Amino acid sequence: MSILYFLIPLALVILGGAVWAFFWAVGSGQFDDLDTPAMRIVLDDDSKPAEDP
Amino acid sequence: MSNASACFHCALPVIDDRFTVNINGTAEAVCCPGCKAVAELIRDSGMSRYYDLRDAPEPGVGKPEESAGEWEVFNREDMLDAFATVDGKRAESIVYVGGMYCAACSWLIETTLSALPGVLDAGVNPVTHRLRLNFDRKTIGLGDVLATLAKLGYHPQPLAPESTAAPELLEQRTALKRLLVASLGMMQAMMFAVALYAGEFQGISADMERFLRLVSFFVTTPVVFYSARPFFSGAIRGIRAKHPGMDLPVAIAIGGAYAASVWSTFYDGPAVWFDSVAMFVFFLTVGRFLEMRARHRSIDRSVALSSILPNTVIRIDGDSESTVPANQLVAGDRVRIRAGEPIPADGRLVDGTSSVDEALLSGESQPLPKSPGDRLLAGSINLDREIQMQVNVTGVDTTLGTISRLSERARYTRPGFVRVADRVASYIVVAILVVATFVAIGWSIVAPERAFEITLSVLVVTCPCALALATPAAFAAAGSRLSLLRLLVTNGDAVEAISRATHVVFDKTGTLTRGRPHIVETRPLNDDYSAEQLLAIAAAIESASTHPLARAFESITTDDVAEDVETTVGQGVSGTVGGRRWHLGRAGFVANNAAVDADDERLNVFLGDGESLYAVFILDDEPRHDARETITALSRLGLGVTLLSGDREASVKRIAQELGVHSYAWECSPQEKLERLAALQDDGEVVVMVGDGINDAPVLSGADASIAPAHSALLAQTSADVIMLGEQLMPVVTAVRVARKTLTIVRQNLGWAILYNITALPLAVAGLVPPWLAAIGMSFSSLIVVLNALRLSRMGSTEKVAAA
Repeated sequence: MSILYFLIPLALVILGGAVWAFFWAVGSGQFDDLDTPAMRIVLDDDSKPAEDP
Repeated sequence: MSNASACFHCALPVIDDRFTVNINGTAEAVCCPGCKAVAELIRDSGMSRYYDLRDAPEPGVGKPEESAGEWEVFNREDMLDAFATVDGKRAESIVYVGGMYCAACSWLIETTLSALPGVLDAGVNPVTHRLRLNFDRKTIGLGDVLATLAKLGYHPQPLAPESTAAPELLEQRTALKRLLVASLGMMQAMMFAVALYAGEFQGISADMERFLRLVSFFVTTPVVFYSARPFFSGAIRGIRAKHPGMDLPVAIAIGGAYAASVWSTFYDGPAVWFDSVAMFVFFLTVGRFLEMRARHRSIDRSVALSSILPNTVIRIDGDSESTVPANQLVAGDRVRIRAGEPIPADGRLVDGTSSVDEALLSGESQPLPKSPGDRLLAGSINLDREIQMQVNVTGVDTTLGTISRLSERARYTRPGFVRVADRVASYIVVAILVVATFVAIGWSIVAPERAFEITLSVLVVTCPCALALATPAAFAAAGSRLSLLRLLVTNGDAVEAISRATHVVFDKTGTLTRGRPHIVETRPLNDDYSAEQLLAIAAAIESASTHPLARAFESITTDDVAEDVETTVGQGVSGTVGGRRWHLGRAGFVANNAAVDADDERLNVFLGDGESLYAVFILDDEPRHDARETITALSRLGLGVTLLSGDREASVKRIAQELGVHSYAWECSPQEKLERLAALQDDGEVVVMVGDGINDAPVLSGADASIAPAHSALLAQTSADVIMLGEQLMPVVTAVRVARKTLTIVRQNLGWAILYNITALPLAVAGLVPPWLAAIGMSFSSLIVVLNALRLSRMGSTEKVAAA
C-alpha cells in the first residue's frame, strides 16, 4: 500500500495543474460565452457564398 | 392589419407584396427595400441558415437604418487611439452591438466578419452584446467593419477601452472558478472519504488513516477558503448590519465542521467531516451560480443610455471643424448638429433656429421650436435645419443620464415580497442558533462524544436556504423569462401585483396606437387635380422633411420630385413640384384666403399654392396590429379593460369601437385619469396601467402595477414597473400569464421549504441524521426550489409563439 504515498500526492499535483489550466482559460475569456458554443457544434461550415448572386 | 403576413427578415407586417427575396428556392415576402437588401446580403454570403437557427424574431429588430457615411470617420488613424488598443499592425476593439437578440445573431456576426479580409478574429458575447474584434489595421479600417455590421441590420457602437470590462462578465468568471474548485475539491474529498469509511469497517493502519485525513485536508482547504468565501463575507456583512441572513448558519456550519476536522487531523480526533464540508459548499455554489445566470439574463442593455446618443459629433474649434467621438466632448465645446441628428449633450443653442423632438425625454410628441439661447437636451432630435450648440453638460450628468440612472437604480431594488421572506429567514436563523445551542448543551450531558456531530447536523439540515431562495429564485426566473419575451421588469413587486390584477387600463396614443400618424382620408378641394395626384405632390415634398408628421406620407410612392424644399418652423414645408410652388402644413400657411375650423387644425394637413387650398389630408393614429387580439386575450383571462385618453372624443370612440373596448373615457387630464383609477381601486379592483406619455407618469405610479413601451418618454419608463420592448402589445397578456405562474411556483416553493424544515429539525435533534446526510438534505431542498423556479424559464415555447 505504500505506493499510495507516492500516487496520491502525484494525483494532487495533476489536480493542481488542471485547476491552474482552468483558471487560465477562464481568465483569457474562453468561458465568457456559455450559450453559443452549444449551438455552434450543430452548424456545418460547408455552406459557401453563392457564386452568382 | 393582423391578416397581413410578417416580413421574412424583420417580422413586421408586410403591407404589399412588392418586395420578395429568394431564399433556398422559396420566394419570401419582406416589408421594405432595406430588409430585402439585408436578406440578400445574408443569402449571398452563404448564411441563409441564420433564418433556420434564430429564435422567433422580434418584429422590427434587425431592420437596417440608413446611415451611409456615418462609419467612414472610424477608418481614420486617430479614431484607433480612442476606440482600440494597437499592437504593431494588429488592433483590438470592443464594439457594443445593439439589436442582437439570440445566439444565431452572434453566429451571423462572427461568420460574416471573419470572412472580411483583414479581420483576424471576431467573437461575440450574446449576454453582454459585446463584440471583441481583432483586425489588421493596414488592411481594413474599423469603420468598414462597423459599416458591415450596420448593413446586417445591427446598431454597432464602438466602446472606449476602459469601459469594456462588463461587471457581470467578471462576476461570472469568478463564480465559474469558485464552482470548479468546489466541484473538484468535493470529488477528491469524497474519494478519500470512501477510503476512510471502508477503513473503519475493514481496519486501516493508523499511519494510512492520518495520511488520508491530511490529503482530505489539502483538497478541502481551497474549497473552504476560496469557494466558500462569499458565504463568510455575507455572514460578516449580516452581523455588521445586525440582520443575520442565511449566510450565517452556513458559515458557522462550514467553519465549525472544517475547524473540528482540522483538529481531528492533527490531534487524532474521532472523525473528520471534510467530505460533508466540500459537498455542502459545492451544492450551495451550484445554487448561487444558477441564480446568478438567471439574474444576468434579465439585464438587457438594449435600452442603454449611450445607444440613443450619436457616436461622433462635429466639433468647431475656432475656424476649423473636426469629427470627434461624442464621448470626448467637454463643457464649453461648440458643436454643429445637422437636421435629423440627435443632440449629443445638454447645452444652449448658439446659432440657427430649428425645432426639436423631445418625445424621448418629455413625451411631448409635437416638435418644439428653438432659437438661440434656448436650452437643448441630450437625446432629443434636431428636426428642421442645421444648428450650432454650446455644450454645458455631458455624459451621465445630462438630464437623460440622470433619468436613466434613476431607472437603473429602480431595477436593483428588491421586491417587498423578497424582503419579507428575507426578514422571516433572519428570524429563523436566530431561532436555529438558539436551538443549536440547546442541542449542544443537551447532548454534551447525555452523550458528549456525539454532541458536536449532532449540533453540526442541526445547523446544516435546518438552514433556511430553501425558504430564503423560494421567492427570489422564482422572481429571478420570471424576470429572465419575461426578458426573453421582451419585457424588462424594473420593480420586482410588479410581478406579484400583475398576478393579482383584475383590470387593465390602457392609454391610447402610443400605447394602443403606434403614436405615429397615417392618412385616413384625402379630400381634394380643387377639381383640377385628383386625390392621387395631390397625394403624390405632398409625398414628394414630405420625403425631404424630417418632421414627425412627414412619416404619415412615407408609405406613398411617388415619381414626383420636389426641389428647393424649405421648412418654416412651426408652420409647414414648401417645395417646387412640376414647376409649381406648393405649400404643405397649417391652413393659414398654405393659403391666404383659407377659412377653416380651428378645432380641426391639429389633425389636418393642408396643401395649397399660397393663394387657395387644394387638398386636406386627415391624419390619425393607427392601432397597433395586435391591439385587438391583446384586448380579446385579456378579457378571456378574466380581466376588465378600460381606455383612458387625453385625446378627442371622436378619435377615442373610433379606436374603442374598432378594438372592442366597451369602457372608455376621452379628454382626461392626468388628474382625471388618476381619479378614475382610484375609483376602480376603491371598487376592489387591482389595476395594471399601460401607458407611455410623460403625463401618464403619475397614473403609472398610482396603479398597482404599470407597463410602459420602451419607446415611451423616459419619465414614464422610470415610473413603470415593466418596460415592454418592441412594437407589440401581446406581451401584456404574456406578463399576466407568467406573473400568475410565478406566484403559483412561489407558493409551491414556500410550502416545500417549510415542510422540509419542520420534518428535518426533530430528526436532527434526535441524532438520527449524520452530517453528510444533513448536507445532502439541505442542498437538495435548495436545489429543488431552484429547479422548480427554473421551470418558469422553460414555460413552453407555445407561450412565445402566442406572444410573437
